[in-house]
Amino acid sequence: MSRARIAIVATVVVAFVIVAGVLVYANQSHGGQKVTIAVTVTKASSMTPSDLTAHHGDIVTISIKSDTDGEVHLHGYDIPFDCVAGQTVSHTFTADKTGDFEIEWESASTHLGHLVVTP
Amino acid sequence: MIPSIGILLHGFGQRYDLPISRYLYFVAAGFVVVVSFVLVVVFAGEKVGERAVQYPRRASRWLTSLGRTPWPRGVGGVIGVLALATVIVTGFVGSQKHPELNPAEYVVWIYFWAATVILSGLVGNLWYLLNPWAAIYDAASRFIPLRPAFRLPALGVWPAAALYFSFACLELTSGMSNRPSIVALAALAYTCLTLAGMVLFGRDAWLERCEAFTVLFGIVARFGPVEAERDESGRIAAVYIRPWGVGLLKDPPVGWDRVLFIILMLSTLAFDGVIATPAWQDFDIALEPIWLPMGSMGFFFIRTLGLVLLTVAFLLVFIAVMHAVLYFGSRKVDRKATISAFALTLVPIALVYNAAHNYSYVMVQSQGIIPVLNDPLASGWHLLPSLAGYTPSFALAQASTVWYAQVVLIVLGHIIAVYLAHLRAGERFRTMQRALLSQYPMLILMVAYTWISLTILAAPTTTGG
Repeated sequence: MSRARIAIVATVVVAFVIVAGVLVYANQSHGGQKVTIAVTVTKASSMTPSDLTAHHGDIVTISIKSDTDGEVHLHGYDIPFDCVAGQTVSHTFTADKTGDFEIEWESASTHLGHLVVTP
Repeated sequence: MIPSIGILLHGFGQRYDLPISRYLYFVAAGFVVVVSFVLVVVFAGEKVGERAVQYPRRASRWLTSLGRTPWPRGVGGVIGVLALATVIVTGFVGSQKHPELNPAEYVVWIYFWAATVILSGLVGNLWYLLNPWAAIYDAASRFIPLRPAFRLPALGVWPAAALYFSFACLELTSGMSNRPSIVALAALAYTCLTLAGMVLFGRDAWLERCEAFTVLFGIVARFGPVEAERDESGRIAAVYIRPWGVGLLKDPPVGWDRVLFIILMLSTLAFDGVIATPAWQDFDIALEPIWLPMGSMGFFFIRTLGLVLLTVAFLLVFIAVMHAVLYFGSRKVDRKATISAFALTLVPIALVYNAAHNYSYVMVQSQGIIPVLNDPLASGWHLLPSLAGYTPSFALAQASTVWYAQVVLIVLGHIIAVYLAHLRAGERFRTMQRALLSQYPMLILMVAYTWISLTILAAPTTTGG
């Protein structure tokens, strides 16, 4: 491959890296906030709100109030909420993993909602 | 209805992927277009005729000597047979209620289906070493003389394509891929079929034309950097190292069966991503009046219909583009041979999409088998108690890492595909101008396919997708 060709390809690649770098820098999130989310689980089959969100690095507290005894499980973070009917159960954790994590009524594998942690 | 269907998706277990962020998506999509045209202009007319598809390769003495020993096949065969036995035994005996606690699901959908395909593209044909059915046949033939009773009719690789389609249906459309006993039953049935086929029609004839995975990995391994040459007796004469991708230029097998097999590779991979998108959910809901009354068959019907439609659409678009390529190439060439040869140049895009799509599946969910080893049959055993509390590490699967890995992979695959198609055009159409002209339709097809890959990766996923 001639030098001119290498130079053209290299220029395109460098331009791509610079543009991507600038965009990534400009879109950095500002995690590290304290986030508190209160949810209600009804009849071991639905959760309100069902879509929970946080940023990477946030300190998240999820409080669950259920009208049924049983375990609500946050996958990925692997946190069990052992609910007793009528009482509120809370867990606080640092959102150190990004992704889309399912929340289930564990004994029946019923989908209740998710926690989405964005970068 | 829809969320509960969602749980059944994609082998088993859930995915944690976040869709690629919007800004990264636009940067990647734009770059793909720019780089495509830059590549074509930069490399225009560099090589034409036979020279265009010649590539550098270097003989590897130690790989040649290693390949001549029985060890790689022996060790690979033992691993393959053990894995097959694990799938059948744990699939039938292990936990049925929690597929994420059953090793059969991990071995089939993550270690074999996602990881072995990716690794074979990276290092070479691992299936040649691991194929458990070839290993069983070879071991048996040491003790019992096995002679084929029949001659396999000249069917090309149509039987392999049909079996590959059936496997894709098990994974994507049956809704049963997360049922370990069904997976084990399928593995057992396929074992019986393959062993019977090899005994009746001959080992190599069956493997090369009817065994779906041998044909599939044969195509995948063309991308890989290892090339083996054999003498007339089938013994390895030399092993070479070559750049990634160039093997797709070597002696392309000709036939519509081969073209369809490659298109099936592309469509099944894309479909796996498509069914996790809201667009599919809309299609699903729109056709509910047709499939809901069919009960459990309805799910299979709508999914299979979707897969067939996507395959037909991919095939029609590919053939239409190839007609444009042949028109602009304006040289009398063997149409079937040329179309078959160009089909192979799409393989890099499919492979990188596969790697990008399964990245976190392989990086994170694969670790789920570690605690399961403590009690693989869900019988209350404590074989390895120290592993029981293991939780998967996300070290290599944070969303930003996944996104960059995905985008870099997709762009790299696209560049390799465009370059290979360019070389192939130089070989077939002989002059710089014709090759260049013929490249534009192909370039549009490749950009479109890469955009589809990126769009699927950037689309918000639905439950369990």
